[in-house]
Amino acid sequence: MEEIEKAVEEILASVKADKDKVMEDLKKFVDYGVPLEQAKEAVMSKYGEVMKEKKLKDIEAGERNICTVGKIIAIDEREVEVRGERRKIYRGLLGDDTAILSFTAWKDFGLNKGDVIRIENASSSEWEGQPRLSLSEWSTVEKVDYDIELIKRAPQKYNLIDLKPGLSNVEVRGKILSMEEREVNIGGEARKVFSGIMADETAKVRFTAWKDFGLKEGDVIRIKNAYVRKWRGAPQIIFDENSTVEKVDEDIVMEERVVPLYKVVEAGGGVDLTIEGTILDVRRDAGIIFRCPHCNRKLRDGVCEEHGEVEGIPDLRIRALVDDGTGAVEVIFNRELSEKLLGKKMEEYMDVAKEAMDYSIVHDEIVDKLFATVVKIKGDSLPSDFIVTIFARDAEVVSIDREGELEEIKMQLEGLQ
Amino acid sequence: MREPAWRIFAAEYNESNHVIESTGEKKPRYVLTPLGAKVNRLFIVGVLTDVEEIGAEGIRRRARVSDPTGMHVVYAEAFEPEVASILADMDVPSYIAVVGKARIYEPEENVLYVSARAEMAKEVDEKTRDHWIMEACRGTLMRINAMKDAMSMNAATSKQLRELGYPPMVAEGVSEALKVYKDVDLEGYEMMVRDAISFITTGKKELRKDYAEEEEKVLEIIAEMQKEEGAIWDEVIQEAERRGMERKVVEEVMVILLEKGQIYEPQLGKIKMV
Repeated sequence: MEEIEKAVEEILASVKADKDKVMEDLKKFVDYGVPLEQAKEAVMSKYGEVMKEKKLKDIEAGERNICTVGKIIAIDEREVEVRGERRKIYRGLLGDDTAILSFTAWKDFGLNKGDVIRIENASSSEWEGQPRLSLSEWSTVEKVDYDIELIKRAPQKYNLIDLKPGLSNVEVRGKILSMEEREVNIGGEARKVFSGIMADETAKVRFTAWKDFGLKEGDVIRIKNAYVRKWRGAPQIIFDENSTVEKVDEDIVMEERVVPLYKVVEAGGGVDLTIEGTILDVRRDAGIIFRCPHCNRKLRDGVCEEHGEVEGIPDLRIRALVDDGTGAVEVIFNRELSEKLLGKKMEEYMDVAKEAMDYSIVHDEIVDKLFATVVKIKGDSLPSDFIVTIFARDAEVVSIDREGELEEIKMQLEGLQ
Repeated sequence: MREPAWRIFAAEYNESNHVIESTGEKKPRYVLTPLGAKVNRLFIVGVLTDVEEIGAEGIRRRARVSDPTGMHVVYAEAFEPEVASILADMDVPSYIAVVGKARIYEPEENVLYVSARAEMAKEVDEKTRDHWIMEACRGTLMRINAMKDAMSMNAATSKQLRELGYPPMVAEGVSEALKVYKDVDLEGYEMMVRDAISFITTGKKELRKDYAEEEEKVLEIIAEMQKEEGAIWDEVIQEAERRGMERKVVEEVMVILLEKGQIYEPQLGKIKMV
């Protein structure tokens, strides 16, 4: 009985209906042996036409039949593959006077930035520890003709190294290192977009400005009310007409800094990163591979998936796991860097492999040479699903400054009371 | 997420008596050490002192790896035959690097044995071992500091520790360890770090290669050349060189034999078998 009363409360929290009627309907289903959860849904859909709107801050992960009103702060479309089919989905941020939530729309509701919409029958899931709204085939979305206030929070200040995809209302300061302008077509309207790389003392990050703020390379700026999205596996800071941008009269001096790997893992990647760690695994596909002379694809058993059987061009590459004790990333080294780390030319490995009549011997040699070696790497992250992957642009075996390190540890020991 | 590999001294790891079962999709288990390392994977570098076959099939191996503070126990399981054969083929003693997962054995309540299940192992050089000791020292010191900070903040939460700049794994582990371990001996661990440092700077024992074969050869030569008053030191070396041994090695082997008491010097420059 208590359970039924609880269910009634839950139903009334999301639909407008008479309590006694809801109770009566629910009991009817339960008496017929319908499980309570299903009975609840059935009753909800009966009264669902007059749903109660929820404030965004009250939405938790794992809810269904959500009704709410919010303003679209950001939206972009992307293609994903769903059961072998290419589909367009839309991701963005929705805000009201209580909170800002991210959302995914699984179909085109014709949404634009700035629209105030009323949503019915949405669901929520958890993403990055926050609830995220999901608008599906079964959700109804309509534009309303009134405007709503957005939550006013003091923007949170971040160093660029600490940016994570999904953050909103952030304040950062940085110098524009490079910038290019391009035009994009949004809803039939041509708009200028400015993208580039900015940096502070802690990191470099890609940015996109959806408005012409009159920026130029070399400017040091402070941006308030920006948000962070993932772009090619790395955080990207985005600002627009809701953001304020001011020029600051100071310079930013960048020094090369080794970023601890847990930070790289948390951010999901980064631009122009410097990292250091120990090689703890060399992936099976490291070694000599053959590429198609026409398209550079990796051949499988001498066959290119595009060009068929071809005379392959040998290439040397290493995919290795680099771990610094705080986090682990995968790093891809091209031929030049592989040769640098191994201290041996590809041709020498070719000879070894030919003699052994087995290319896998090259993999074993690489493991032998590199396992437990400390390396320093500069590079950029690539988009990847399972583990943060860095494409190395420079790499070197670290020669350990034994005395320096000992001195540092001794100083730390002295620092303990 | 790939679990990072903790560089952790045997003394701290082996004193762990708490396991954290997490709720995530893959439900990783962590050994929580007294200083708050949350270990699912470890990276150990030390001296391989012992490898034994275990189990009926003889494919599994149990090895002991010594660091300046104690012994890590490392298992190579049957489903990782490559690692098992690497262990089997390695000389004892030699420097070894091992990446492994935390292995937890709980024969009864409140009794916990922790070790490592090797994913990869390889012989390394002394420099790699020294570097590892320094990395382990730094990690231990960071956790000692985090422990002290947390205690002075009256049992800080992991969020507070993160705000002080500690990595998330350390912040979580330390706040957790404070709850489950009573009276952690911070000074003792500090001493452990000091000892480890002096181990590399001063009184370390040089790892000696196993010269069994060479010893045999040198003894043979001495037996042939010694008369009543013993063989002449320089002539033994020349003879050994003639038989293909390096001068440096012969000299070292003679010192070993002297130390072992298998040969002695009846008078300066002459040697004789005992």
